[in-house]
Amino acid sequence: MFQPLREIEGGIQLSLYVAARAPRLRVAPIFESFLRQVYFTGVTAATGVMLRACGLGVIIIAVMMDMLDADVDLAVKILLLLVFREVGPLAAAVVVILRTGTAVSAELAMMRVSGQTRALRYLGIDLYDYLVLPRVAGITLATAALTLYVQFLAVLGGLALSPFVIEASFTELTDRLFDLFAPVDFYYSVVKSLLFGFAIAACCCWHGLNPPDLTQNAVPKAVTRAVTQSAMLVLLINAVFAYLVFGILFFGLVKAHV
Amino acid sequence: MSAHLPGFALRYRRQTARHELQAAVPKGAVTHLHVPDEDAKAHLVTAVLKGRCEPGEELELFGESAAELARPRRKQLLARVGAVSPIVGLITNLNAWENIALPAAYHGSPPLAQVATLAHEVLAAFGADARQFLARIPDELGTLERKMAAFVRSLVAAPELMVFDALEDGLSYAECRHVARFESEYRARQPQGTVLYVDTREES
Repeated sequence: MFQPLREIEGGIQLSLYVAARAPRLRVAPIFESFLRQVYFTGVTAATGVMLRACGLGVIIIAVMMDMLDADVDLAVKILLLLVFREVGPLAAAVVVILRTGTAVSAELAMMRVSGQTRALRYLGIDLYDYLVLPRVAGITLATAALTLYVQFLAVLGGLALSPFVIEASFTELTDRLFDLFAPVDFYYSVVKSLLFGFAIAACCCWHGLNPPDLTQNAVPKAVTRAVTQSAMLVLLINAVFAYLVFGILFFGLVKAHV
Repeated sequence: MSAHLPGFALRYRRQTARHELQAAVPKGAVTHLHVPDEDAKAHLVTAVLKGRCEPGEELELFGESAAELARPRRKQLLARVGAVSPIVGLITNLNAWENIALPAAYHGSPPLAQVATLAHEVLAAFGADARQFLARIPDELGTLERKMAAFVRSLVAAPELMVFDALEDGLSYAECRHVARFESEYRARQPQGTVLYVDTREES
């Protein structure tokens, strides 16, 4: 009955702890672990998402322009509002959940079940410092980088396809894109993707370190919970952001140019 | 054999409904402790590694009662204890070198160059090719090799009390002769050190 409350409390505690211990990233093995996480989440995922990101932009722009009988202005607005602001960060978050979230939660749950976390404690190594901090920091940073990469490729894919669907050249579309692009688009995506990354990492680390029991069977259960809840958190953050930016709170104050 | 120093490195007592276990390990001595069962062994080794005891247990580390230890003091005392035990296994996603160097790299001492020298010396003494050995992850190491890696990792901290928990478990006769040399390797580096062997077998 109290499990959801315990999970929320645990997640908040973990997040606060990680935020407070950020300077510990300077410690050599923690920093190495951080770099490994950035490499795994950001670099190795980049090649895999290249085609998918381009395809995403192409499909969205093709469908929307066909449906709405769009002109240059509308095509660029679709690219900015839909592809760049919303779909890009969400697509990157999905990749991070599927690739990294599963790996991190399974790895930590396995370490917990097999007694490796206990071994670390006996060696005087703080679990949160060594296991959680580099993963959370690494995934957060890499998610932001991966988001920018996905956005770039998706917009590029959309721009490349548009001349075949509407009567406009690639240069014309690109010029219009730069005219309409506002810094808020960039900040919005960066902040959102950082939050996505942080939430995914914290959620997966927490579930990995707190499997339902200490048997081998607990590992897939921990992974399932981590992935499901990460996805829910991402959607929740996205909804809150959409409300803050397009809703009543900042309406007119942080208004996009499009 | 080294001369015993005054006092005890470890004193432990556990009272259960079935039996009472008492152990006193003089400083500088080599003590073999045969405990009645796995549960008793796990309790003893865990208490020593944690520097903390459960109800029904009493523990004294280097003359100080674990029940009265403040956290920083407990940490200091635990830094003087090393163990080769299934309870303190290797981390499976790190190779042997990373496992051996991890505590030193995390705590900032001793320098990694010193750790590397120690690892090469000890592994060479056991006839292992250090370069190949250190590059392998625990799953690629045999039982003896995993124990060797754990032993080297323990030696790095230059512990005053070395606990060998079920050292010969899972080893062949020939491999047991290898691990029998752990004590002399430890002694060579810690002449005043204390050695405690714990197992559940009856003394032959």
